[in-house]
Amino acid sequence: MYWKFALKRVINAVIIYIILIFIFSALFNVQMEQTVYAQIDEAIKMESMQLTDMKPEEMQRWAEQRKEFYYKRYNLDKSVFERVVRRAVDALTFKYGNSSIIRSSGGSRDVRTIVLETIPRTLLLFMTAMVIDILLGFWLGIKKAQKPGKGLDKSTSIVTMVVYGMPSWWLGMLMIMAFAYMFKIFPSGGFLSTPPPPAGTLARFWDIIYHLLLPVITLVLIGFWGRAFLTRNIVLSTLQEDYIMSARARGIPERKVLYGHALRSAAPPIVTMGLLALLVSFGGNIIFEGIFSWPGMGNLYWISVQQNDIPVLMGNLSLTTGLYIAGLAILDLIYGFLDPRIKVGGKE
Amino acid sequence: MKLAEMRESFNDFWSEFKKEKTGVIGLIFFAIFLFIVIFEPFLLPFEDANTRWRDISYWEDWPKSAPPAWTNWFTSEKKSVTGTLTEYSESSQDMGAMVMKEFVFEYDYQYDDAPNDIIIHGDASGQPIVVVNIVRPDGEEIEVFQSAYNAGERTKDIRISIDNSSRSTIYNFAKKYESSENLSNVKQGLIKTTNGIFSKAQEGILRYPEPLKGEYQIKVTAILRDETDNMASPYIVLPGKVSGVLGTDSQKRDIWTGVLAGVKWALLIGILTAIVSVSIGVIYGVISAYLGGWKDALMQRIFEVFVSVPLLPVLIVLSAVFEPSIWMMVVLMAMFFWTGSVKTVRSMAMQIKEETFIEASRALGASNFRIIFKHMVPILIPYSFSSMALFIPRAVVYEASISLLGLGDSQIVTWGQILSDALNSGAVLNGLWWWVVPPGLAIAFMGMAFAFIGFSMDKILHPKLRTR
Repeated sequence: MYWKFALKRVINAVIIYIILIFIFSALFNVQMEQTVYAQIDEAIKMESMQLTDMKPEEMQRWAEQRKEFYYKRYNLDKSVFERVVRRAVDALTFKYGNSSIIRSSGGSRDVRTIVLETIPRTLLLFMTAMVIDILLGFWLGIKKAQKPGKGLDKSTSIVTMVVYGMPSWWLGMLMIMAFAYMFKIFPSGGFLSTPPPPAGTLARFWDIIYHLLLPVITLVLIGFWGRAFLTRNIVLSTLQEDYIMSARARGIPERKVLYGHALRSAAPPIVTMGLLALLVSFGGNIIFEGIFSWPGMGNLYWISVQQNDIPVLMGNLSLTTGLYIAGLAILDLIYGFLDPRIKVGGKE
Repeated sequence: MKLAEMRESFNDFWSEFKKEKTGVIGLIFFAIFLFIVIFEPFLLPFEDANTRWRDISYWEDWPKSAPPAWTNWFTSEKKSVTGTLTEYSESSQDMGAMVMKEFVFEYDYQYDDAPNDIIIHGDASGQPIVVVNIVRPDGEEIEVFQSAYNAGERTKDIRISIDNSSRSTIYNFAKKYESSENLSNVKQGLIKTTNGIFSKAQEGILRYPEPLKGEYQIKVTAILRDETDNMASPYIVLPGKVSGVLGTDSQKRDIWTGVLAGVKWALLIGILTAIVSVSIGVIYGVISAYLGGWKDALMQRIFEVFVSVPLLPVLIVLSAVFEPSIWMMVVLMAMFFWTGSVKTVRSMAMQIKEETFIEASRALGASNFRIIFKHMVPILIPYSFSSMALFIPRAVVYEASISLLGLGDSQIVTWGQILSDALNSGAVLNGLWWWVVPPGLAIAFMGMAFAFIGFSMDKILHPKLRTR
């Protein structure tokens, strides 16, 4: 029955995505159209430069005609409702139009190209951080759960709470100040050195790793305490189940109880919680990339806000939303796969 | 629940909570924050900072990018600390055609590094001529400033800055002592005026100044030629190399003032967002669980749509497009944060719904409204408090993140905005740590306080996690 559950979940995700895109299109319709109007004015201006020997009235009439032509072409003559629907359909088919200022590294002004080239970099940064984060957190969490309430558990729990409200980007600022400017160990930001090593070489690989180190260290430093705390709580509550008690009563060694019995049922929630944290950090650590000038999606938000480039902002938002929803769906699918109780679906 | 019952259950809770050391520490922090908010007018070094934070003229007297004053404790060379001189002895001399009013300020200079400037303020009216003389501990007297003012009939604040206006005077003064070799290496337009004033009159006064410590007298003389001319209540600002509790930023603002003024906004944003969103979430979850059937299913679908929104990106785009005020921001955050508590509340409410007292009250003919708000929601109040505590840091961080992008409410001072200014002015690049560390630390402290409270409450409410 797993495929039925999976299909249901995927359809659900698609529907939610469509609804959200419609809401965004309606909400930001005015702003989006403002940029379209500006772009049309610009285009007409460019065209009129090429025209010579025309009387002012003729010129005016010509401009009016061009305007009408463009309005028709961009559907600005339709009703508001139809415009919103068309915009939403465009966004759903990944047609985001052209940016107003920002260009991709290849010089293209196509919003889709601009946003798509940032996604792998964002994934690289947050995936790396999250893998280290989960491994370290898992290890520490089990250590904590073995002796709850003792020194190690207490002290690390306090650290968890200390970093709870600490913005990752602030720690990033401090790390850059300390390790890029005071002690010049790491680069202050970016993705590659200038000039970048040629593509496809090992030097380029190491260069990326070198630039990756400081942001990843920062992310792990702020994230893995929480992961450890979560792991501890899940393992600890599993350890109080009756079957653990009976395993202990049967004389099974404590190590085996922990790793063989408790972790087997504690692992799925820990893994999914970790992945969920990856997703949340994907949406929540957007500021973080800007601090390190890591050219990912977050940095693109930063740039498009500063340049007031609405099409890029919207395209980026649509794709982020899409990825986020896809991530949530995948998470549920994994969880359903690991934990058979979920597959029944919806009925309590 | 009756009042007495509530008090009793609160007492139970409190006796449990008291045993959680971290929770008590969190409460103490919270009390400190509240104290700062209540006594803010008495704590702020600059009382108009809340309204004039972005007003450059308000801060013009203070030093630029000066480290905190306490950095002097860790260095052997003591840098001059920003100070104001308000005490003076006043004397007046009638010279027939004019009146000479003299104000003498005493300044005890005991540092190794001279202040950046000497700034004289006073209330003037009419057309007084103002002369400033400095008498050094070695007996030298320098006339550093002389100028006529046209203040008009109404009393006006005049401001005299020595740094630029008397550079040539100090150069000429120093020329008497400096060797010709050193003089040829110094450009007249680039010397630091105050270095000349506060250094020993000997060879090297311009190139390698040695501090001259002791009592300085700053004499401000106002020559009044007319009856309407007047000068009164002068004071002197000495912008030092180090300044205040937390130093100043590159726009001469006092960072300690900014951090203190930010406390109330952080608390307001955090608490308001948490209360609104948790209340919505709890009520939504209870209603959804209680109604059941297709209503529950519909409410869960709506809930799923909200959960699927990547929060920070959407908030950034909303703020970029609509430029919201702080109140709007709270509403926007609450609009998305409420989903956080729905799932837990719904599953808890599912259990409560099956309890016999709900069945009993339904049999007695109680309305759905009454059952939900009188019987079910009150049971979930302890839970909602603990999740509120954990929502507060999130709201504060989100506001700070949005402000960091320069999208915050420009009418107020928040920690995120201070950090945003720091980032945009290259504080990270130039190592102005006193500008970057304190606001972030404040955010972290606030987060920590509520995390302490929230996690402790969680521990009491989820006995499985107990370690005792």
